Amino acid sequence: MQIREAGLTSVSDPAQADTASEQALVRSAQAGDRSAFGTLYQRYARMVHGILLARVPRAAAEDLLQDVFLQALPRLSSLRDTTRFGGWLAAIARNRASDYYRQTRPTEEIEENFAETSKDGGPTSSSHVSEGLFFLEAVRSLPEAYREPLILRFVEGMTGPEIAERTGLKHGSVRVNLYRGMQMLREKLEKK
Amino acid sequence: MKSDYLWDRSGEADPQLQKLEQALGQFRSQVEAPQFPMDVEKGNQCGLKGIALVWRMRRLAASMVFGAAAATVAVVAFLHVAKSPTGPGWDVARLEGAPSVGELTVAKTGGMAKLHVGEVLTTNASSRASVQVANIGELYVDPGSRLRLLETGSNRKRIAVEIGTIHAAIWAPPGEFVVDTPSATAVDLGCAYTLQVAADGSGTLQTKMGWVGFHQNGRDSFIPAGAMCLTRAKEGPGTPFFEDSLEEFRSALHALDFEELNVAGRSEALQTVLRKARVRDGFTLWHLLARVSDEERPMVYDRLTALVRPPAGTTREGVLRLDAPMIDAWWNRFALGDIGVWRFWEQREAPRTKKAAS
Repeated sequence: MQIREAGLTSVSDPAQADTASEQALVRSAQAGDRSAFGTLYQRYARMVHGILLARVPRAAAEDLLQDVFLQALPRLSSLRDTTRFGGWLAAIARNRASDYYRQTRPTEEIEENFAETSKDGGPTSSSHVSEGLFFLEAVRSLPEAYREPLILRFVEGMTGPEIAERTGLKHGSVRVNLYRGMQMLREKLEKK
Repeated sequence: MKSDYLWDRSGEADPQLQKLEQALGQFRSQVEAPQFPMDVEKGNQCGLKGIALVWRMRRLAASMVFGAAAATVAVVAFLHVAKSPTGPGWDVARLEGAPSVGELTVAKTGGMAKLHVGEVLTTNASSRASVQVANIGELYVDPGSRLRLLETGSNRKRIAVEIGTIHAAIWAPPGEFVVDTPSATAVDLGCAYTLQVAADGSGTLQTKMGWVGFHQNGRDSFIPAGAMCLTRAKEGPGTPFFEDSLEEFRSALHALDFEELNVAGRSEALQTVLRKARVRDGFTLWHLLARVSDEERPMVYDRLTALVRPPAGTTREGVLRLDAPMIDAWWNRFALGDIGVWRFWEQREAPRTKKAAS
Protein backbone atom coordinates (compact mmCIF):
# COMPACT_ATOMS: atom_id res chain seq x y z
CA MET A 1 0.00 0.00 0.00
CA GLN A 2 1.44 3.33 -1.02
CA ILE A 3 -0.85 5.71 0.75
CA ARG A 4 0.48 8.99 1.95
CA GLU A 5 -0.40 9.05 5.64
CA ALA A 6 1.55 12.23 6.48
CA GLY A 7 -0.14 14.37 9.07
CA LEU A 8 -2.69 11.78 10.11
CA THR A 9 -1.10 11.13 13.44
CA SER A 10 -2.11 14.55 14.68
CA VAL A 11 -5.80 13.90 14.13
CA SER A 12 -7.38 12.72 17.36
CA ASP A 13 -11.06 12.39 16.33
CA PRO A 14 -11.55 8.95 14.67
CA ALA A 15 -14.15 10.35 12.28
CA GLN A 16 -11.83 13.11 11.23
CA ALA A 17 -9.03 10.61 10.94
CA ASP A 18 -11.15 8.46 8.64
CA THR A 19 -11.96 11.45 6.50
CA ALA A 20 -8.37 12.51 6.37
CA SER A 21 -7.32 8.96 5.56
CA GLU A 22 -9.85 8.81 2.77
CA GLN A 23 -8.69 12.08 1.33
CA ALA A 24 -5.17 10.73 1.41
CA LEU A 25 -6.36 7.66 -0.46
CA VAL A 26 -8.04 9.78 -3.11
CA ARG A 27 -4.98 11.96 -3.51
CA SER A 28 -2.79 8.87 -3.81
CA ALA A 29 -5.13 7.41 -6.40
CA GLN A 30 -5.03 10.69 -8.29
CA ALA A 31 -1.26 10.47 -8.24
CA GLY A 32 -1.43 7.10 -9.93
CA ASP A 33 -1.38 4.76 -6.97
CA ARG A 34 -3.53 1.88 -8.15
CA SER A 35 -3.50 0.07 -4.83
CA ALA A 36 -5.04 3.20 -3.28
CA PHE A 37 -7.70 3.09 -5.95
CA GLY A 38 -8.19 -0.57 -5.16
CA THR A 39 -8.77 0.35 -1.53
CA LEU A 40 -11.32 2.94 -2.59
CA TYR A 41 -12.99 0.23 -4.64
CA GLN A 42 -13.22 -1.95 -1.54
CA ARG A 43 -14.73 0.89 0.44
CA TYR A 44 -17.22 2.08 -2.16
CA ALA A 45 -18.18 -1.08 -4.05
CA ARG A 46 -21.25 -1.64 -1.87
CA MET A 47 -22.46 1.91 -2.38
CA VAL A 48 -22.01 1.74 -6.14
CA HIS A 49 -23.64 -1.68 -6.35
CA GLY A 50 -26.60 -0.47 -4.29
CA ILE A 51 -27.09 2.61 -6.45
CA LEU A 52 -27.02 0.44 -9.56
CA LEU A 53 -29.30 -2.21 -8.10
CA ALA A 54 -31.88 0.47 -7.36
CA ARG A 55 -32.02 1.20 -11.07
CA VAL A 56 -31.03 -1.74 -13.27
CA PRO A 57 -31.64 -5.51 -13.32
CA ARG A 58 -29.71 -7.34 -10.68
CA ALA A 59 -27.50 -9.30 -13.04
CA ALA A 60 -26.53 -6.12 -14.89
CA ALA A 61 -25.62 -4.36 -11.65
CA GLU A 62 -22.67 -6.68 -11.13
CA ASP A 63 -21.13 -5.85 -14.49
CA LEU A 64 -21.90 -2.16 -14.29
CA LEU A 65 -20.18 -2.04 -10.92
CA GLN A 66 -16.89 -2.64 -12.68
CA ASP A 67 -17.76 -0.19 -15.44
CA VAL A 68 -18.37 2.59 -12.95
CA PHE A 69 -14.90 2.22 -11.48
CA LEU A 70 -13.39 1.95 -14.94
CA GLN A 71 -15.11 5.21 -15.87
CA ALA A 72 -14.04 6.87 -12.65
CA LEU A 73 -10.36 6.02 -12.86
CA PRO A 74 -9.32 8.24 -15.80
CA ARG A 75 -11.53 11.08 -14.56
CA LEU A 76 -10.17 11.02 -11.05
CA SER A 77 -7.69 13.78 -11.76
CA SER A 78 -10.59 16.13 -12.53
CA LEU A 79 -11.91 15.77 -8.98
CA ARG A 80 -10.70 18.90 -7.21
CA ASP A 81 -12.37 18.51 -3.83
CA THR A 82 -11.20 15.15 -2.53
CA THR A 83 -13.74 15.26 0.28
CA ARG A 84 -16.46 14.80 -2.34
CA PHE A 85 -15.18 11.56 -3.79
CA GLY A 86 -18.22 9.58 -2.60
CA GLY A 87 -20.79 11.94 -4.06
CA TRP A 88 -18.78 12.20 -7.26
CA LEU A 89 -18.61 8.42 -7.62
CA ALA A 90 -22.31 8.10 -6.78
CA ALA A 91 -23.13 10.52 -9.59
CA ILE A 92 -21.09 8.43 -12.04
CA ALA A 93 -22.97 5.34 -10.89
CA ARG A 94 -26.37 6.99 -11.36
CA ASN A 95 -25.35 8.20 -14.82
CA ARG A 96 -24.08 4.77 -15.75
CA ALA A 97 -27.43 3.29 -14.74
CA SER A 98 -29.20 5.84 -16.94
CA ASP A 99 -26.89 4.98 -19.83
CA TYR A 100 -27.79 1.34 -19.41
CA TYR A 101 -31.34 2.10 -20.47
CA ARG A 102 -30.32 4.53 -23.19
CA GLN A 103 -28.07 2.03 -24.87
CA THR A 104 -29.53 -0.37 -27.38
CA ARG A 105 -29.17 -3.64 -25.68
CA PRO A 106 -28.63 -6.81 -27.66
CA THR A 107 -31.58 -9.06 -27.65
CA GLU A 108 -30.50 -12.35 -29.15
CA GLU A 109 -26.83 -11.65 -28.83
CA ILE A 110 -24.50 -14.27 -27.60
CA GLU A 111 -21.58 -12.61 -25.97
CA GLU A 112 -18.48 -14.40 -24.91
CA ASN A 113 -19.55 -17.16 -22.63
CA PHE A 114 -16.81 -17.26 -20.11
CA ALA A 115 -18.61 -18.74 -17.23
CA GLU A 116 -17.38 -17.57 -13.92
CA THR A 117 -17.37 -19.90 -11.03
CA SER A 118 -20.15 -19.38 -8.56
CA LYS A 119 -19.40 -17.03 -5.74
CA ASP A 120 -19.55 -18.09 -2.15
CA GLY A 121 -22.32 -16.41 -0.34
CA GLY A 122 -24.23 -15.67 -3.51
CA PRO A 123 -27.89 -16.37 -4.01
CA THR A 124 -28.62 -20.00 -3.39
CA SER A 125 -31.21 -22.25 -4.90
CA SER A 126 -33.18 -22.49 -1.69
CA SER A 127 -36.67 -21.09 -1.42
CA HIS A 128 -35.13 -18.30 0.65
CA VAL A 129 -34.39 -16.76 -2.71
CA SER A 130 -38.03 -16.29 -3.63
CA GLU A 131 -38.71 -14.38 -0.45
CA GLY A 132 -35.73 -12.13 -1.12
CA LEU A 133 -36.84 -11.55 -4.69
CA PHE A 134 -40.29 -10.63 -3.44
CA PHE A 135 -38.90 -7.99 -1.11
CA LEU A 136 -36.51 -6.74 -3.78
CA GLU A 137 -39.37 -6.30 -6.23
CA ALA A 138 -41.33 -4.48 -3.55
CA VAL A 139 -38.49 -2.05 -2.91
CA ARG A 140 -37.95 -1.54 -6.62
CA SER A 141 -41.59 -0.66 -7.07
CA LEU A 142 -41.09 2.42 -4.86
CA PRO A 143 -40.19 5.88 -6.18
CA GLU A 144 -36.51 6.21 -7.06
CA ALA A 145 -35.71 8.55 -4.16
CA TYR A 146 -36.68 5.84 -1.67
CA ARG A 147 -35.29 2.85 -3.55
CA GLU A 148 -31.67 3.85 -3.21
CA PRO A 149 -31.44 4.35 0.56
CA LEU A 150 -33.52 1.23 1.25
CA ILE A 151 -31.34 -0.94 -0.98
CA LEU A 152 -28.18 0.49 0.54
CA ARG A 153 -29.62 -0.19 3.98
CA PHE A 154 -31.04 -3.69 3.47
CA VAL A 155 -29.08 -5.18 0.58
CA GLU A 156 -25.70 -3.62 1.19
CA GLY A 157 -26.03 -3.58 4.97
CA MET A 158 -25.07 0.08 5.39
CA THR A 159 -26.41 2.22 8.22
CA GLY A 160 -28.01 5.61 7.65
CA PRO A 161 -24.88 7.54 8.70
CA GLU A 162 -22.77 5.34 6.40
CA ILE A 163 -25.11 5.99 3.48
CA ALA A 164 -24.88 9.72 4.08
CA GLU A 165 -21.13 9.61 4.44
CA ARG A 166 -20.52 7.47 1.38
CA THR A 167 -22.97 9.15 -0.98
CA GLY A 168 -22.16 12.67 0.16
CA LEU A 169 -25.80 13.36 0.92
CA LYS A 170 -26.94 15.19 4.03
CA HIS A 171 -27.95 13.09 7.01
CA GLY A 172 -31.36 14.74 7.04
CA SER A 173 -32.05 13.87 3.42
CA VAL A 174 -31.02 10.27 3.85
CA ARG A 175 -33.02 9.95 7.04
CA VAL A 176 -36.18 11.39 5.49
CA ASN A 177 -35.96 9.18 2.41
CA LEU A 178 -35.15 6.12 4.48
CA TYR A 179 -38.13 6.65 6.74
CA ARG A 180 -40.60 7.63 4.08
CA GLY A 181 -39.45 4.78 1.90
CA MET A 182 -39.77 2.32 4.76
CA GLN A 183 -43.24 3.59 5.55
CA MET A 184 -44.28 3.14 1.95
CA LEU A 185 -42.71 -0.30 1.85
CA ARG A 186 -44.58 -1.37 4.99
CA GLU A 187 -47.85 -0.21 3.46
CA LYS A 188 -47.17 -2.18 0.31
CA LEU A 189 -46.26 -5.31 2.22
CA GLU A 190 -49.33 -5.03 4.42
CA LYS A 191 -51.55 -4.97 1.36
CA LYS A 192 -50.08 -8.27 0.21
CA MET B 1 -29.82 7.35 24.43
CA LYS B 2 -32.30 7.41 21.62
CA SER B 3 -32.40 4.15 19.75
CA ASP B 4 -33.20 3.86 16.09
CA TYR B 5 -32.76 0.50 14.43
CA LEU B 6 -33.65 1.62 10.92
CA TRP B 7 -31.18 4.48 11.04
CA ASP B 8 -28.14 3.00 12.74
CA ARG B 9 -29.17 -0.43 14.10
CA SER B 10 -29.24 0.94 17.62
CA GLY B 11 -31.75 -0.17 20.20
CA GLU B 12 -34.26 -2.95 19.92
CA ALA B 13 -34.41 -4.60 16.53
CA ASP B 14 -37.64 -4.36 14.56
CA PRO B 15 -38.48 -7.94 13.43
CA GLN B 16 -39.70 -6.73 10.04
CA LEU B 17 -36.49 -4.81 9.45
CA GLN B 18 -34.45 -7.84 10.46
CA LYS B 19 -36.41 -9.97 8.06
CA LEU B 20 -35.70 -7.50 5.26
CA GLU B 21 -32.02 -7.47 6.17
CA GLN B 22 -31.87 -11.24 6.07
CA ALA B 23 -33.88 -11.67 2.88
CA LEU B 24 -32.25 -8.87 0.90
CA GLY B 25 -28.70 -9.32 2.18
CA GLN B 26 -28.32 -12.31 -0.13
CA PHE B 27 -28.19 -9.91 -3.10
CA ARG B 28 -25.17 -8.03 -1.79
CA SER B 29 -22.42 -7.69 -4.37
CA GLN B 30 -19.87 -10.48 -4.29
CA VAL B 31 -17.62 -9.07 -6.99
CA GLU B 32 -13.99 -9.07 -5.94
CA ALA B 33 -11.86 -5.98 -6.26
CA PRO B 34 -9.86 -5.92 -9.48
CA GLN B 35 -6.12 -5.54 -9.68
CA PHE B 36 -5.52 -2.11 -11.14
CA PRO B 37 -2.44 -1.89 -13.38
CA MET B 38 0.24 0.38 -12.03
CA ASP B 39 1.25 1.89 -15.35
CA VAL B 40 -1.92 3.66 -16.35
CA GLU B 41 -1.47 7.37 -16.73
CA LYS B 42 -4.13 9.81 -15.66
CA GLY B 43 -6.76 10.38 -18.30
CA ASN B 44 -5.10 8.03 -20.69
CA GLN B 45 -7.91 6.38 -22.65
CA CYS B 46 -5.54 3.76 -24.02
CA GLY B 47 -4.68 3.00 -20.43
CA LEU B 48 -8.35 2.69 -19.61
CA LYS B 49 -8.81 0.25 -22.42
CA GLY B 50 -5.82 -1.57 -21.06
CA ILE B 51 -7.46 -1.88 -17.67
CA ALA B 52 -10.69 -3.00 -19.20
CA LEU B 53 -8.82 -5.52 -21.26
CA VAL B 54 -6.83 -6.78 -18.29
CA TRP B 55 -10.04 -6.99 -16.29
CA ARG B 56 -11.87 -8.93 -18.90
CA MET B 57 -8.86 -11.07 -19.62
CA ARG B 58 -8.79 -12.07 -15.99
CA ARG B 59 -12.39 -13.14 -16.22
CA LEU B 60 -11.64 -14.88 -19.47
CA ALA B 61 -8.60 -16.65 -18.07
CA ALA B 62 -10.64 -17.93 -15.17
CA SER B 63 -12.75 -19.86 -17.58
CA MET B 64 -10.48 -20.90 -20.40
CA VAL B 65 -11.89 -24.36 -20.17
CA PHE B 66 -14.98 -22.97 -21.75
CA GLY B 67 -13.05 -21.57 -24.69
CA ALA B 68 -14.05 -24.16 -27.22
CA ALA B 69 -17.65 -23.97 -26.19
CA ALA B 70 -17.52 -20.20 -26.35
CA ALA B 71 -16.19 -20.28 -29.88
CA THR B 72 -18.98 -22.60 -30.88
CA VAL B 73 -21.45 -20.33 -29.19
CA ALA B 74 -20.08 -17.31 -31.06
CA VAL B 75 -20.58 -19.05 -34.39
CA VAL B 76 -24.08 -20.12 -33.42
CA ALA B 77 -24.82 -16.59 -32.29
CA PHE B 78 -23.71 -15.20 -35.61
CA LEU B 79 -25.87 -17.66 -37.48
CA HIS B 80 -28.73 -16.99 -35.17
CA VAL B 81 -28.97 -13.27 -35.84
CA ALA B 82 -30.70 -13.81 -39.15
CA LYS B 83 -33.33 -16.09 -37.71
CA SER B 84 -33.85 -14.55 -34.29
CA PRO B 85 -37.46 -14.35 -33.20
CA THR B 86 -38.85 -10.91 -32.70
CA GLY B 87 -41.62 -9.42 -30.60
CA PRO B 88 -41.88 -8.99 -26.88
CA GLY B 89 -39.65 -11.05 -24.68
CA TRP B 90 -38.25 -11.31 -21.20
CA ASP B 91 -34.66 -10.60 -20.23
CA VAL B 92 -32.70 -13.65 -19.23
CA ALA B 93 -29.46 -13.34 -17.29
CA ARG B 94 -26.99 -16.05 -16.51
CA LEU B 95 -26.37 -16.52 -12.81
CA GLU B 96 -24.11 -19.51 -13.13
CA GLY B 97 -22.92 -21.92 -15.81
CA ALA B 98 -24.36 -21.71 -19.28
CA PRO B 99 -28.16 -21.64 -19.50
CA SER B 100 -29.64 -21.56 -22.98
CA VAL B 101 -32.51 -19.79 -24.66
CA GLY B 102 -33.68 -21.76 -27.65
CA GLU B 103 -30.56 -22.93 -29.44
CA LEU B 104 -28.40 -20.27 -27.89
CA THR B 105 -26.35 -20.17 -24.77
CA VAL B 106 -26.86 -17.15 -22.57
CA ALA B 107 -23.53 -15.48 -22.20
CA LYS B 108 -21.76 -13.52 -19.55
CA THR B 109 -23.43 -12.02 -16.53
CA GLY B 110 -25.41 -8.98 -17.53
CA GLY B 111 -25.62 -9.99 -21.17
CA MET B 112 -29.36 -9.88 -21.64
CA ALA B 113 -30.67 -12.55 -23.92
CA LYS B 114 -34.37 -12.40 -24.67
CA LEU B 115 -36.83 -15.18 -24.08
CA HIS B 116 -39.56 -14.75 -26.67
CA VAL B 117 -42.97 -16.33 -26.78
CA GLY B 118 -42.59 -19.95 -27.80
CA GLU B 119 -38.94 -20.16 -26.84
CA VAL B 120 -37.52 -22.48 -24.21
CA LEU B 121 -35.09 -21.58 -21.45
CA THR B 122 -32.99 -24.52 -20.33
CA THR B 123 -30.54 -24.80 -17.48
CA ASN B 124 -28.29 -27.83 -17.31
CA ALA B 125 -27.00 -29.43 -14.14
CA SER B 126 -24.49 -26.67 -13.51
CA SER B 127 -26.30 -23.56 -14.63
CA ARG B 128 -28.81 -21.13 -13.19
CA ALA B 129 -30.56 -18.13 -14.67
CA SER B 130 -32.75 -15.24 -13.67
CA VAL B 131 -35.65 -14.09 -15.79
CA GLN B 132 -37.19 -10.65 -15.62
CA VAL B 133 -40.93 -11.25 -15.92
CA ALA B 134 -41.82 -8.22 -18.02
CA ASN B 135 -42.09 -5.43 -15.46
CA ILE B 136 -43.88 -7.42 -12.76
CA GLY B 137 -41.30 -9.62 -11.15
CA GLU B 138 -38.44 -12.02 -11.41
CA LEU B 139 -37.78 -15.73 -11.62
CA TYR B 140 -34.76 -17.67 -10.46
CA VAL B 141 -34.36 -20.82 -12.49
CA ASP B 142 -32.42 -23.57 -10.75
CA PRO B 143 -30.15 -26.15 -12.44
CA GLY B 144 -31.83 -28.85 -14.47
CA SER B 145 -34.86 -26.81 -15.46
CA ARG B 146 -36.74 -26.28 -18.68
CA LEU B 147 -39.44 -23.67 -19.15
CA ARG B 148 -41.23 -22.15 -22.11
CA LEU B 149 -42.68 -18.65 -22.44
CA LEU B 150 -46.27 -19.06 -23.61
CA GLU B 151 -47.65 -15.56 -23.40
CA THR B 152 -46.64 -12.07 -22.40
CA GLY B 153 -49.24 -9.36 -22.68
CA SER B 154 -50.08 -6.24 -20.75
CA ASN B 155 -52.30 -8.13 -18.32
CA ARG B 156 -51.27 -11.72 -18.77
CA LYS B 157 -47.98 -13.52 -18.46
CA ARG B 158 -47.78 -17.27 -18.75
CA ILE B 159 -45.04 -19.86 -18.82
CA ALA B 160 -44.90 -23.64 -18.79
CA VAL B 161 -42.40 -25.37 -16.54
CA GLU B 162 -41.70 -28.79 -17.99
CA ILE B 163 -39.13 -29.82 -15.42
CA GLY B 164 -36.98 -28.29 -12.72
CA THR B 165 -37.34 -25.60 -10.08
CA ILE B 166 -38.26 -21.94 -10.29
CA HIS B 167 -38.44 -19.33 -7.57
CA ALA B 168 -40.95 -16.66 -8.46
CA ALA B 169 -41.42 -13.21 -6.95
CA ILE B 170 -44.30 -11.39 -8.57
CA TRP B 171 -45.48 -7.90 -7.90
CA ALA B 172 -48.59 -7.68 -10.04
CA PRO B 173 -52.35 -7.84 -9.72
CA PRO B 174 -53.58 -11.31 -8.78
CA GLY B 175 -53.95 -13.71 -11.65
CA GLU B 176 -51.62 -11.91 -14.03
CA PHE B 177 -48.83 -14.48 -13.82
CA VAL B 178 -49.68 -18.11 -14.56
CA VAL B 179 -47.43 -21.17 -14.63
CA ASP B 180 -48.47 -24.39 -16.30
CA THR B 181 -46.96 -27.66 -15.16
CA PRO B 182 -47.72 -31.16 -16.42
CA SER B 183 -50.01 -31.81 -13.48
CA ALA B 184 -51.43 -28.44 -12.38
CA THR B 185 -51.53 -24.74 -13.16
CA ALA B 186 -50.20 -22.27 -10.62
CA VAL B 187 -51.87 -18.87 -10.53
CA ASP B 188 -50.08 -16.07 -8.74
CA LEU B 189 -52.34 -14.27 -6.32
CA GLY B 190 -49.73 -11.77 -5.18
CA CYS B 191 -46.82 -13.68 -3.85
CA ALA B 192 -43.43 -15.31 -3.83
CA TYR B 193 -43.16 -19.03 -4.21
CA THR B 194 -41.02 -21.97 -5.25
CA LEU B 195 -42.29 -24.50 -7.76
CA GLN B 196 -40.61 -27.82 -8.44
CA VAL B 197 -41.56 -30.15 -11.29
CA ALA B 198 -40.17 -33.67 -11.53
CA ALA B 199 -39.58 -35.76 -14.64
CA ASP B 200 -42.79 -37.73 -14.07
CA GLY B 201 -44.85 -34.53 -14.04
CA SER B 202 -45.38 -34.45 -10.30
CA GLY B 203 -44.59 -31.28 -8.46
CA THR B 204 -44.38 -29.28 -5.27
CA LEU B 205 -45.36 -25.69 -4.65
CA GLN B 206 -44.21 -23.82 -1.55
CA THR B 207 -45.49 -20.32 -0.91
CA LYS B 208 -43.30 -17.81 0.89
CA MET B 209 -45.44 -14.70 0.66
CA GLY B 210 -49.03 -14.01 -0.32
CA TRP B 211 -50.89 -16.98 -1.75
CA VAL B 212 -51.05 -19.12 -4.86
CA GLY B 213 -53.90 -20.91 -6.58
CA PHE B 214 -53.08 -24.35 -7.90
CA HIS B 215 -55.69 -25.99 -10.08
CA GLN B 216 -56.33 -28.74 -12.58
CA ASN B 217 -59.55 -30.08 -14.00
CA GLY B 218 -61.79 -28.27 -11.55
CA ARG B 219 -59.72 -29.20 -8.52
CA ASP B 220 -58.47 -26.08 -6.74
CA SER B 221 -55.89 -25.75 -4.01
CA PHE B 222 -55.05 -22.46 -2.35
CA ILE B 223 -51.60 -22.29 -0.84
CA PRO B 224 -50.95 -19.43 1.61
CA ALA B 225 -47.56 -18.29 2.89
CA GLY B 226 -45.85 -21.02 4.88
CA ALA B 227 -47.85 -23.77 3.22
CA MET B 228 -47.12 -26.21 0.42
CA CYS B 229 -48.98 -28.46 -1.95
CA LEU B 230 -48.00 -31.60 -3.84
CA THR B 231 -49.34 -32.42 -7.26
CA ARG B 232 -49.35 -35.63 -9.27
CA ALA B 233 -49.80 -36.11 -12.98
CA LYS B 234 -52.82 -38.33 -12.55
CA GLU B 235 -54.52 -36.81 -9.53
CA GLY B 236 -53.68 -33.11 -9.94
CA PRO B 237 -53.05 -30.87 -6.94
CA GLY B 238 -53.33 -32.50 -3.54
CA THR B 239 -54.60 -30.92 -0.35
CA PRO B 240 -52.35 -28.06 0.80
CA PHE B 241 -50.92 -27.98 4.29
CA PHE B 242 -48.68 -25.81 6.43
CA GLU B 243 -45.06 -26.87 6.39
CA ASP B 244 -44.97 -26.87 10.18
CA SER B 245 -47.91 -29.23 10.53
CA LEU B 246 -47.39 -32.51 12.36
CA GLU B 247 -45.69 -35.34 10.52
CA GLU B 248 -48.58 -37.74 11.18
CA PHE B 249 -51.00 -35.17 9.81
CA ARG B 250 -49.00 -34.76 6.62
CA SER B 251 -48.50 -38.50 6.10
CA ALA B 252 -52.17 -39.23 6.51
CA LEU B 253 -53.05 -36.39 4.17
CA HIS B 254 -50.65 -37.75 1.56
CA ALA B 255 -52.29 -41.15 1.86
CA LEU B 256 -55.72 -39.63 1.34
CA ASP B 257 -54.57 -37.65 -1.67
CA PHE B 258 -52.36 -40.03 -3.56
CA GLU B 259 -52.45 -43.59 -2.23
CA GLU B 260 -54.75 -46.45 -3.12
CA LEU B 261 -56.51 -47.10 0.19
CA ASN B 262 -59.16 -49.60 1.12
CA VAL B 263 -62.16 -48.45 3.15
CA ALA B 264 -60.51 -49.09 6.49
CA GLY B 265 -57.27 -47.47 5.42
CA ARG B 266 -59.03 -44.40 4.14
CA SER B 267 -61.07 -44.07 7.31
CA GLU B 268 -57.97 -44.37 9.45
CA ALA B 269 -56.13 -41.77 7.37
CA LEU B 270 -59.02 -39.33 7.58
CA GLN B 271 -59.35 -39.84 11.34
CA THR B 272 -55.65 -39.13 11.75
CA VAL B 273 -55.89 -35.95 9.72
CA LEU B 274 -58.83 -34.72 11.78
CA ARG B 275 -57.29 -35.71 15.09
CA LYS B 276 -53.91 -34.14 14.38
CA ALA B 277 -55.23 -30.93 12.86
CA ARG B 278 -54.35 -27.74 14.71
CA VAL B 279 -56.32 -24.50 14.55
CA ARG B 280 -54.25 -23.17 11.67
CA ASP B 281 -54.73 -26.45 9.82
CA GLY B 282 -58.35 -25.46 9.46
CA PHE B 283 -57.60 -24.31 5.93
CA THR B 284 -56.55 -27.85 5.06
CA LEU B 285 -59.81 -29.21 6.42
CA TRP B 286 -61.64 -26.59 4.37
CA HIS B 287 -60.08 -28.09 1.24
CA LEU B 288 -61.10 -31.56 2.35
CA LEU B 289 -64.76 -30.57 2.54
CA ALA B 290 -65.04 -30.73 -1.23
CA ARG B 291 -62.76 -33.73 -1.60
CA VAL B 292 -64.29 -36.24 0.76
CA SER B 293 -67.44 -38.27 0.22
CA ASP B 294 -70.87 -37.12 1.37
CA GLU B 295 -70.61 -39.61 4.24
CA GLU B 296 -67.22 -38.30 5.36
CA ARG B 297 -68.03 -34.60 5.05
CA PRO B 298 -69.90 -34.21 8.39
CA MET B 299 -66.85 -35.47 10.28
CA VAL B 300 -64.65 -32.96 8.54
CA TYR B 301 -67.11 -30.15 9.14
CA ASP B 302 -67.49 -30.97 12.82
CA ARG B 303 -63.75 -31.01 13.35
CA LEU B 304 -63.39 -27.76 11.41
CA THR B 305 -66.00 -25.99 13.51
CA ALA B 306 -64.36 -27.33 16.66
CA LEU B 307 -61.17 -25.58 15.61
CA VAL B 308 -62.54 -22.42 14.00
CA ARG B 309 -65.74 -20.57 14.76
CA PRO B 310 -68.03 -20.64 11.72
CA PRO B 311 -68.38 -17.37 9.83
CA ALA B 312 -71.65 -15.49 10.03
CA GLY B 313 -74.29 -16.52 7.55
CA THR B 314 -73.16 -20.11 7.19
CA THR B 315 -75.00 -23.20 8.30
CA ARG B 316 -74.01 -26.80 8.77
CA GLU B 317 -76.52 -27.94 6.20
CA GLY B 318 -75.37 -25.38 3.70
CA VAL B 319 -71.73 -26.30 4.02
CA LEU B 320 -72.48 -30.03 3.83
CA ARG B 321 -74.21 -29.50 0.52
CA LEU B 322 -71.20 -27.41 -0.56
CA ASP B 323 -73.15 -24.20 -0.98
CA ALA B 324 -70.70 -22.01 -2.91
CA PRO B 325 -71.21 -18.68 -1.05
CA MET B 326 -70.92 -20.47 2.30
CA ILE B 327 -67.80 -22.34 1.25
CA ASP B 328 -66.29 -19.06 0.10
CA ALA B 329 -67.28 -17.35 3.34
CA TRP B 330 -65.49 -20.09 5.21
CA TRP B 331 -62.30 -19.55 3.23
CA ASN B 332 -62.39 -15.83 3.89
CA ARG B 333 -62.79 -16.66 7.58
CA PHE B 334 -59.17 -17.82 7.60
CA ALA B 335 -57.98 -14.37 6.43
CA LEU B 336 -55.45 -15.95 4.13
CA GLY B 337 -56.60 -14.08 1.04
CA ASP B 338 -59.88 -12.98 -0.48
CA ILE B 339 -61.37 -15.83 -2.45
CA GLY B 340 -63.25 -13.30 -4.55
CA VAL B 341 -59.97 -12.65 -6.32
CA TRP B 342 -59.81 -16.31 -7.32
CA ARG B 343 -63.43 -16.47 -8.38
CA PHE B 344 -62.85 -13.45 -10.60
CA TRP B 345 -59.84 -15.10 -12.23
CA GLU B 346 -61.72 -18.37 -12.52
CA GLN B 347 -64.62 -16.81 -14.38
CA ARG B 348 -62.78 -14.34 -16.56
CA GLU B 349 -59.39 -15.84 -17.18
CA ALA B 350 -59.45 -19.58 -16.71
CA PRO B 351 -61.50 -20.32 -19.85
CA ARG B 352 -59.28 -18.06 -21.91
CA THR B 353 -56.11 -19.55 -20.46
CA LYS B 354 -57.42 -23.04 -21.07
CA LYS B 355 -58.20 -22.13 -24.66
CA ALA B 356 -54.75 -20.64 -25.17
CA ALA B 357 -53.13 -23.74 -23.76
CA SER B 358 -54.92 -26.10 -26.08
